[in-house]
Amino acid sequence: MLNHILNAFRTYMHGDGAVLLPEMQLFLFAIGTLAMDSWAANTSSEKSGSNLVFEQKYWNPAIALAGIAFSTLTLGMLRARIVQSGELAGFHLTLVIDNYFVFFSALFLAATALVILLSVNSSTISAVRQGRYFALLLFACISMMLMVSAVDLVTIFLAMEAATISAYFLTATPGLSNRTPSAAVRFVFSSALGSALVVYGFSLLYGLSGASNITQVARALGSRHNVAKVIALSHQSSQQGLQMLQLLQSRLPEAVHWHAFTLEALPIAAFLLVIVGIVVKFAVPPFQAEFNYANGEKDFGISGPVILYLSGAFTITAAALLVRLLFTIFADSQNIWWYIIAGLAICGIGYGILGSLRETNVERIVVYSSIGQMGYVLLGVVAANEGAATAMTYYLFTYLFMVTGLFGVLITVGEKNAPAGFLRDLSGLRQRSAVMALLLIVFVLSLAGAPPTAGFFGRYFIFHSLLETGHRYIAWFVALSSLPLAYSYLRIAVYAWRGNKSGSESTPVVFGAREAIVLGICVFVSLAAGLYSEPFTRMARYAFGQ
Amino acid sequence: MLPVTHYLFLSFALFFIGLTGVLSRRNLVVKLFSIEIILSAASINFMAFARLYGDATGQVFSILVVAMLALELLVALVIIAAVCSRWKCATGDYGKDLPSQLDY
Repeated sequence: MLNHILNAFRTYMHGDGAVLLPEMQLFLFAIGTLAMDSWAANTSSEKSGSNLVFEQKYWNPAIALAGIAFSTLTLGMLRARIVQSGELAGFHLTLVIDNYFVFFSALFLAATALVILLSVNSSTISAVRQGRYFALLLFACISMMLMVSAVDLVTIFLAMEAATISAYFLTATPGLSNRTPSAAVRFVFSSALGSALVVYGFSLLYGLSGASNITQVARALGSRHNVAKVIALSHQSSQQGLQMLQLLQSRLPEAVHWHAFTLEALPIAAFLLVIVGIVVKFAVPPFQAEFNYANGEKDFGISGPVILYLSGAFTITAAALLVRLLFTIFADSQNIWWYIIAGLAICGIGYGILGSLRETNVERIVVYSSIGQMGYVLLGVVAANEGAATAMTYYLFTYLFMVTGLFGVLITVGEKNAPAGFLRDLSGLRQRSAVMALLLIVFVLSLAGAPPTAGFFGRYFIFHSLLETGHRYIAWFVALSSLPLAYSYLRIAVYAWRGNKSGSESTPVVFGAREAIVLGICVFVSLAAGLYSEPFTRMARYAFGQ
Repeated sequence: MLPVTHYLFLSFALFFIGLTGVLSRRNLVVKLFSIEIILSAASINFMAFARLYGDATGQVFSILVVAMLALELLVALVIIAAVCSRWKCATGDYGKDLPSQLDY
């Protein structure tokens, strides 16, 4: 009996279970974090913490980091397995392990680990909610990994919903920020609207193809022109029309009901709905800034590490999902829809630049500009060749570390009653801590796109691929729009380096090993990926299977 | 069975009704069930296409959409409750009901 159960378990783990293994491990450790949280809360009244190995507040992040370490090891084993025996698909071809998944989930695990390290000493996360906070981070990481692993409309939708529900709780849990979560409410509604649009688009895609696996949808959409011609011919009352009707009835009986115009028009509607839905769903936090101005609030009301996670890892997840959808389902008509994506990207870049120019809140500057950065990534979809694919993944990879570094400096520099939210809070940083000011300048230069850093090379690769595929004016726009974007970033550096605070207010910045590790990794990637970019471009090419 | 375009028109109509509701109403509860209208339009689409192709995937997707909708409503209402508890709306305020206080 036991053998039976063990055999069944082993078969599952070698087949379908292997596809879900990294996520399952993270899930177990998230549950472990919650359990540890409640156990520590129960025993803290008895012990005073004198003979514990760690202090109690370090147990939760330690378990979360252990979960990420295990998951990374599993990811390495899966990578070795797919190098040997090709792509791994499970659950009736709804989830897949391929190079794309390995690359992006390694990136998400790294992002989650960095955010966990940064938020241990963060002043805005009260100790009461700590266990739940780290568990929520792990749940969000699980759903982001599922989003890149999903190749079926159903699983894509489920993973998207799971990711955004984790985001709702991260932004709205009262203990995670001292301020009213009104931005969280508006985030919930915009995000819900976005997912409704995406679901409607998916329903149209399913209706056009009769299948929910995205490769089958792609095949059906690819042949829709021929099917439309056959349908148009079959409506004629001639000998040929009758022949076409019989052909349709034998090969594709459902298509008899379609009108040829519907078959041509619905994919456009589906495309618009899916793209707009994903953009509204994930590019959301800055939209709330409009309302915050109206209500007199000065910042997001969400704590620093959470904003970092949303504008870093979540935005990258959205970009990864968009790239997968655009390159599989809508690949055949790219020469038609690139106008729409180019227009969307240019509007996004313009909106990001204009929005960040008038801001005085550093977090908002960075979040607005991140819309601009994602606009540049979308322009890589416009120039759809191999170099563009590499450019996009390289850009997303380096963008994560640059943004984590910048927010890391802000979180480290901020104190409990003086969070470094505004530009004026950063003035005099050089007197307080020269190291922090230098790091801030490195990250800001990297995001702005100064030559020896990684940010420059990301934008340069996209510029190059746009020129290669003949989109000259868009390439000019990329080059010229980098200037105002650089201005809005460099303002931050100027305040940090040249500002003067009076002596009584400037306390030295205290940071420990955790922040040093995070900032060290981020500055290493920002500089090394620019100075010696070959290993990083090789990693970026790996994501697309080369 | 009616031609599938009939179902498509119905779901387009519901979609636009829901979209107008979300974008133009300020009350949070009304926004919530306008989003629900859009999602039920998508459900109608799924079930119509499932009937057309004789494929069960559409029906599974419909059930999942409804389940996700319920979860999202739950989360949204929990968050509204948190916001309202901070802003002191609907507690001990006689003569005012909750929906009218949820205007933004």
